[in-house]
Amino acid sequence: MNDLPQINRRSFVIGTAAVGGGLALGLELPFGRAQAATGGPEVNAWVVVRPDETVVIRVARSEMGQGTITGLAQLVAEELDCDWSKVTVEYPTPGQNVARERVWGNMSTGGSRGIRDSQELVRKGGAAARLMLIQAAADAWNVPAAECGAVGGVITHKPSGRTTTFGKVAEAAGKLDPPKEIQLKDPKDWKIAGKPLKRLDTMDKLTGKLTYGIDVKLPGMLNAAIKDCPVFGGTLKSFDAGKVAGMRGVKKVVPVGDSAIAVVADTWWQAKTAIDALPIVWDEGENAKVSSASIAEWLKAGLDAEEAFVGNQNGDAKAALADAAKKVDAVYAYPYQNHATMEPMNATALYAADKCEVWCPTQNGETALAAVIEASGLPGAKCDVHKLTLGGGFGRRIFTDFVRQAVAIAKEMPGTPVKLLWSREEDMTHGHYHPVTQAKMVGGFDASGNLTALHMRISGQSILASVFPQNLQNGRDPATFQGLNPSGAEAAIGYTISNLLIDHSMRNPHVPPGFWRGVNINHNAIYLECFMDELAHAAGQDPVAFRRKLMAAHPKHLAVLNAAADGIGWEKPAPQGIHRGIAQMMAFGSYVAAAAEISVTGGNKIKIHRIVAATDPGYAVNPAQIERQIAGSFVYGLSAVFYQECTVKAGRIEQENFDTYGSMRIADMPKVESVIMPSGGFWGGVGEPTICVAAPAVLNAFFNATGKRIRSFPLKNHNLSFA
Amino acid sequence: MTHALVNVPARAKRGEIIEIKTLISHPMETGYRRDEVGKAIPREIIHRFTCTYNGVEVFRADLFPAISANPFISFFTRAAESGVIAFNWTADNGETHTETATIAVD
Amino acid sequence: MSDRQLDSTATRRQFLTVAGSLIGAVAVAPAQAAPPAPATLAAAIDEIVGDAPVRRGKVKLEVPPLVENGNAVPLTVSVDSPMTEREHVKSIHIFNEKNPQPNVASFYLDPRAGRAQVSTRIRLADSQKVIAIAQLSDDSFWSDNVDVVVTLAACLENPQK
Repeated sequence: MNDLPQINRRSFVIGTAAVGGGLALGLELPFGRAQAATGGPEVNAWVVVRPDETVVIRVARSEMGQGTITGLAQLVAEELDCDWSKVTVEYPTPGQNVARERVWGNMSTGGSRGIRDSQELVRKGGAAARLMLIQAAADAWNVPAAECGAVGGVITHKPSGRTTTFGKVAEAAGKLDPPKEIQLKDPKDWKIAGKPLKRLDTMDKLTGKLTYGIDVKLPGMLNAAIKDCPVFGGTLKSFDAGKVAGMRGVKKVVPVGDSAIAVVADTWWQAKTAIDALPIVWDEGENAKVSSASIAEWLKAGLDAEEAFVGNQNGDAKAALADAAKKVDAVYAYPYQNHATMEPMNATALYAADKCEVWCPTQNGETALAAVIEASGLPGAKCDVHKLTLGGGFGRRIFTDFVRQAVAIAKEMPGTPVKLLWSREEDMTHGHYHPVTQAKMVGGFDASGNLTALHMRISGQSILASVFPQNLQNGRDPATFQGLNPSGAEAAIGYTISNLLIDHSMRNPHVPPGFWRGVNINHNAIYLECFMDELAHAAGQDPVAFRRKLMAAHPKHLAVLNAAADGIGWEKPAPQGIHRGIAQMMAFGSYVAAAAEISVTGGNKIKIHRIVAATDPGYAVNPAQIERQIAGSFVYGLSAVFYQECTVKAGRIEQENFDTYGSMRIADMPKVESVIMPSGGFWGGVGEPTICVAAPAVLNAFFNATGKRIRSFPLKNHNLSFA
Repeated sequence: MTHALVNVPARAKRGEIIEIKTLISHPMETGYRRDEVGKAIPREIIHRFTCTYNGVEVFRADLFPAISANPFISFFTRAAESGVIAFNWTADNGETHTETATIAVD
Repeated sequence: MSDRQLDSTATRRQFLTVAGSLIGAVAVAPAQAAPPAPATLAAAIDEIVGDAPVRRGKVKLEVPPLVENGNAVPLTVSVDSPMTEREHVKSIHIFNEKNPQPNVASFYLDPRAGRAQVSTRIRLADSQKVIAIAQLSDDSFWSDNVDVVVTLAACLENPQK
């Protein structure tokens, strides 16, 4: 073992040319201002051009592996017409955003909106900068700007052939008034956007240079471990600090809020060892009586409840079902799940009477700043947040629990930075979970085998009721019906059914829900697309043909369905032992479909041989990145359906680590064959919608292979696993 | 509506401007909230708060559902004379709550 | 938020002309599922000021520029006034732009207050303007307003409403 060679990440990287100047994100992490490394004049808020021609593009959204900073930079660079190889990226802080009247707009990164929500704003920023740079050159030459053009960072006066570069005129450009008229390029003319360019952050990840929140080191920093009451809603009753005061490195024991206790020590391991030894008494409260069984029973009652919130209604489903020549019904159930980001929750806070700063991964710099303002009690102008790349977000880091905790602890040690890091166990048991639901599906056919009625009753938890009740509409949670809405550009159902009723009996257990990648489409796609297969089977029809008949009015849904079917070779017979399944959905503004080929051995070992994914996001800013997002989302979604549930016992979550919360391995995952088919005219998201179609495609294939319909998850509960 | 905290200085100089802080436990149910099965919870808020100084009203507030739960209100008054400063909260259902504090004014 | 012209009446026109930047506060955002119709906020303000003009100044409204979910937003409103028998603040009224109801609170003071300053905590359903209008002893009206971003609301914005 002793003669293993020194493993150097660089040695894994063979001959890659660094594309782009790398990343100015918290590289040196100087005490105070993460962007101190940036020098050079600002042309406008979006673009800094240094004298050495480096172009620094400001990005408001958060990078969590989804590639948004590269995509957004591509959009700016396209309009700016700079040299892409000179591009680097930095994050303005939310404090700077507020101070400059939110010039960078919304910093929220969720709902698959990073690109589609800000594309117009950032493109205009890049275009404005280009126009100002050209104007500055024209002014210096004393010629009309209309006679000048810019390509690849070089400005040319066309009649005379004189040239200059962005770096030379940036300072003068920054002094000009922004242009009033801005014309954006047509995507069909894109040379930087729309191209599968290498990501800007990969190199720093490979070399270990990229600093995540978990890596933060500040001078004089202490470390904190925390425990929050294991039962949601319970409180901290008592603790015996004396028992750990003498332990090595321990500096302080700090109650946080009314439900948590933290230990601050020199190192995190010392803090964790001490908090594990700390005697703590919790007041667990009423919720200690709740279990997965009690929740399931409560939800089951909702399947037949008289009253429900209606999400989609057409004709009279109940009457049509009563009259139907043939009825098919089924009950499905989907569990709580945790985001399980690889980097646990963390934040580093420095509190002083006149300033509070936090370094953390967050999906919304402004939400984190709002939390710092509230937790510190200091005025907004005295607070700021330095955003760091997220080691996974998936919706978990839209919340600020860890930020508030860090500030509360740092307030007890003014002038000393404190890094709060959750243990894996704390992270697994204090999440904001994918909500728990059940669904009762009833379909009705007429005598000719046409589907005439469908009633989909969802019973279970509303995310908005817990996270943002202001958005409820007379008590109804519209997000429940993602992918099932009658119309609209965000998440509409792809079928026309003459008698349709989709409704929701709301039941909100005490476990806190959150936005888990895909949000409500993960279970909605399983419920709808698996049941569509059940209906097709009952009618003796091919699953694709059965769907097509209902999709004449939904051309974009149909297009991705057809592309997935064609890709898998649906019309041709499958090889021996291979079985196929398909699913389609629309959410987050994009249309997605997947078709899978699997084989099953021993009745319970599943091998996925192929998956074809068809995606229409309107426009494709970086097709290579979209492919990776699709593949990554399939891993996340299939891992969830095969292995993942968070069960409740005595009011608390049982799964504390990856021994009981598994994940796919590389060998289980086929190469995803992606068909990216942007049809233009709209901007759909990519981070999430694709996640929901892999599981139902595989489940439908499983039925075709075995005749067994699985309706509750994860699959491991049915003794099913990867071959 | 049982638990209220008031913060009044125990003594002050005549004419001195003093700050008074008050906090009362109350959910300030807006009428827009829903319970765990989505049923509307009726409005029930404290809609009036008054402060009297030896019987004379020195501050009054009309509150609406946009005031947060556990209403916190702080305001100022001149320390005119020694005596009793009384606080009264009135809720939609007619319930009231009173707190008093004494102040010595030199 | 786009500015919208209100139906003009003599009262409102006067109010709008003199109010200056308050116009932006009163012209309400496009109608969505729950928020008040444009008339409601204006009507609530009308109830207090009637025909009188409202001027920007004297009033300082302090609210954090960013809040997370808007449940307990600290607010301090103060009015520059000597608080004498002859010259004092009679009342301060707080309004919001997008909650289901436009009124937040009304505070009634008298010269004995010494300082016209009140603090409380309010609820904001969405990113919006908060408006404070003070009535002085000479029955003149003065105002201030602050834009507050409710960051969770920004997280949940649907781009294609």
